[in-house]
Amino acid sequence: MEYRAPIETYAGKVREVVIGKGSKAMKIGGESILPLHFFEGSIENPPRLVLEVYDMEPDDWAGAVLEPYKDVVSDPVKWAQKCLDFGADLVCLKLMSTDPGGENAPAEAVAALTKKVATTINTPLIVYGSGDETKDIEVLTKVAEVCAGENLLLGPAVKENYEPICKAALDYGHCLIAQTPIDINLEKELNIKLMKSFPPERIVIDPLSSALGYGIEYSFSIMERTKHIGIMFKDATMQMPIIADLGKESWKTKEAKASEKQGILWESIAALTFLLAGANILVLRHPETLKLIKEVITGKI
Amino acid sequence: MVIIGESIHIISKVVSDAIKERNPKPIQELAIAQNRAGADYIDLNLGPVRRDPEETMQWLVNAVQEVVVLPLSLDTMNPIAMEAGLKICNKRPLLNSASGKTDSKEQMLPLAKKYSCDVVISVITDRGCPPGVDARVESIMETVALANEMGIPNEDIWVDPILLPVSASQAEVKETLEFVKILSDLLPGIKSTIGLSNISNGTPEALRGILNRTYMVMLGRYGQYSVIADALDKELISLKRGEMPNIVDLIYRTMDGEDIDLSSLSPKERDYVKTTKVLTGEILYSHAWLES
Repeated sequence: MEYRAPIETYAGKVREVVIGKGSKAMKIGGESILPLHFFEGSIENPPRLVLEVYDMEPDDWAGAVLEPYKDVVSDPVKWAQKCLDFGADLVCLKLMSTDPGGENAPAEAVAALTKKVATTINTPLIVYGSGDETKDIEVLTKVAEVCAGENLLLGPAVKENYEPICKAALDYGHCLIAQTPIDINLEKELNIKLMKSFPPERIVIDPLSSALGYGIEYSFSIMERTKHIGIMFKDATMQMPIIADLGKESWKTKEAKASEKQGILWESIAALTFLLAGANILVLRHPETLKLIKEVITGKI
Repeated sequence: MVIIGESIHIISKVVSDAIKERNPKPIQELAIAQNRAGADYIDLNLGPVRRDPEETMQWLVNAVQEVVVLPLSLDTMNPIAMEAGLKICNKRPLLNSASGKTDSKEQMLPLAKKYSCDVVISVITDRGCPPGVDARVESIMETVALANEMGIPNEDIWVDPILLPVSASQAEVKETLEFVKILSDLLPGIKSTIGLSNISNGTPEALRGILNRTYMVMLGRYGQYSVIADALDKELISLKRGEMPNIVDLIYRTMDGEDIDLSSLSPKERDYVKTTKVLTGEILYSHAWLES
């Protein structure tokens, strides 16, 4: 008798989030199978691979990862274009110049720059504030306003500041990144709070992505559980796509900084790990990592 | 369900100041309030009592016995303080607690035998709290067997499975429930207790009560004998007294997996159903579990 492996079907489905507008619009998530369980079904939207752009010349990037961008680091618009030339599906603009501990750039200036990047490139744009809970309110609400209708993927909205950021994203038509510190219960709590006033099909979860050797297993577990709870157990508050902002964390490690090759591999292993955990968006730094991950996904290696 | 009132606890500033100043008034007020509220035992939690263990415990026991006639649960890990307290209790006390730890087996269990009192035995061992049902069973069987050998009958033993907060260890909450469910089959005649309020440790203050109460009802269904709990929670006492059969019924039906139409319920009933689902592990816990 022929053996047939049992095939599970699940009651739950990750919501499909659409970012960007018009012909640039891109779908994220939407899967009803567990990560890489292609024997259970197919995914409509492949994981999206993103390269990172700063709104200022980075002062803390390892030389090896800055090198590929050295001719464009002073011009975020050109930098973004270069990321797309390297093959990125879309771009993530990080508004690091607004950090009050650094340049403390005003919200108006970066909002205008964001608009310029968003309207110049022909893909949707992901925008992260500096991560300063207080300043991010000012920066992200201004960006939302100036880029009204662009349908950015905007964040991070955290427990401490989500209300005004959520309102701005709602008023000006953007999607939201809900960020919590590697904690499944807090992740769910923030989703519940956001869902009271914000459409869940416009939320993407950022559970924080630790680097290899620095707690990657915790991030893996949280992403894996999020998928289980949303897809297998049909918890509507946990059915959002996941963004893994991993390039930043990977290149912070001394192992990645040791050599270009090791750095690329360090970042790549993290990227593959989060793909296995179910991440729908991977934010990377090195174009060689992007290339490597693409080859893996498309089965070339 | 036997309620052991938890309010006289060294962690409370009122209590620790009163003990330090040897001022019986605030402690007696707490004892009287718990007695009036409907507690069956008064727990006196002194912690490790590093200074003057004998005198401190006896002062506390006397202060409380002056104003209430309820039996006491003496809660300290210091065997000297424990013995000093056991000696002067008017009513048969509860030794809270012994465990599978070597120290405890050597020092606390003999006291329970010597004073022929009831004794709480927790599943904790030298390696900490055993995870899951099987490891808890293994630990308790061993410690109870030892207690039996020493001449302490099952009827005098109150097993404490150790409860972890649902906000931190949702899976363990379910395991604890399973453990309680099988306990009387494992050890016929045995009693049980549990630190109920632990379930809601780490949960926002205003939301703690409903977790405590719901879990008490769930434990009660599986034969839990007593809980160490907030006796000043009126609704908890009401549930214990069987005055809220409708809520108990809803909790049971939810435990049985019945798909209850939330829209047909009052807000309070809805909250109990949602809370039960979190405590059975059906729904992932978050601080906002009542809001979704």
